[in-house]
Amino acid sequence: MYAIVVGGGKVGYYLARELIQGNNEVLVIEKDGAKCERIAQDLGDVVLKGDGCEAATMEVAGFGRADMVIAVTGDDEDNLVSCQVAKVKFAVPRTIARINNPKNEAIFRKLGIDTTVSATAAILSQIEQELPEHPLMRLLTFKGGGLEIVEVKVPPASAVVGRRIRDVLLPQQSIIVLLVGQDGTPRVPTSDTTIQAEDEVLAVTPTENEETLRNILTSPPGGSEPGSSDPGYGRPGPAGPYEPYR
Amino acid sequence: MPVDGSQASLDALALSCSLARKTKNTIYAVYVIEVARTMPLDAEMTAEAERGEQVLSRAERIAESLDYEVSGELLQARDIGDAIVDEAVERGVSTIVLGVGHQETLAEFELGETAQYVLKNAPCQVMLLRSAIEE
Repeated sequence: MYAIVVGGGKVGYYLARELIQGNNEVLVIEKDGAKCERIAQDLGDVVLKGDGCEAATMEVAGFGRADMVIAVTGDDEDNLVSCQVAKVKFAVPRTIARINNPKNEAIFRKLGIDTTVSATAAILSQIEQELPEHPLMRLLTFKGGGLEIVEVKVPPASAVVGRRIRDVLLPQQSIIVLLVGQDGTPRVPTSDTTIQAEDEVLAVTPTENEETLRNILTSPPGGSEPGSSDPGYGRPGPAGPYEPYR
Repeated sequence: MPVDGSQASLDALALSCSLARKTKNTIYAVYVIEVARTMPLDAEMTAEAERGEQVLSRAERIAESLDYEVSGELLQARDIGDAIVDEAVERGVSTIVLGVGHQETLAEFELGETAQYVLKNAPCQVMLLRSAIEE
């Protein structure tokens, strides 16, 4: 695999080192000459001095044959530009961007970046997991983007407590794949499985339906669960998203 | 002993043969094909490889005319300087002999990137032969 790492800071350096150890072809693009020298000394001829946002540098770096572009500079805008140009101009199959400000995550996704990694958001999620009520946590984004695995804790006051999965109206293409009870016991759900208070719900959902899923699983009765006429939602019962459980 | 077909590199080869005859050292002539990042390192570079073979044959003929033998090697690398230093380390050579032309940019003498890299990074001794300034 040919992986291009944009940014030769600590993250870029260690990432490149691990990828090289995994017998991958790697190129690090870095603006700073001193950093370039350090990387070249430690890792060999795997560094290109230049701006990873410039099309000319991208051309020389061989973005056109890259299997993956990973932008890990300390600047969200640079990471966005590198990944977006890689995707649009060079049709790189997979782009991964480091995000420093979690608020930028939505725009990265809208602009087609396959995967985003935010250290800030990761630390926040670890802290939030300890809190009695924590929002939805994104655990994994599938290759190609679009679908992700999320975790939602069901509060005792949620409208879905005591209801069978088949009776809960989930967003389209959203599937509950695992429930973990308060005592830590995992349950593989069927359409007849009842959701209980404090359950950790692991679900696969399209990125755009993430917020709706969270609302459905956490809102109190009379909250924001949508009606079946909403085009973004599946229908319960045999034709609904839980058909595979039967 | 890197050779690129230039007169400077072939002059340096001739010098190496003269010097090595006294010490009976082995001479390795190396031609490096620089592969752009737009292609994989092991890409088939037929035209460049042919040119490299021609340059190495020429180097061997020059050595023979001086009653010496060189062993030629064709390499593919991302960077010529890096490849020369790596090859020198791998073969444990005692000296790299480089031939450079007289280059001027904006009336300033300039040593090429490859020569600078080798001078800076080669662990062995490096001899540099600069061609005479052309009138």
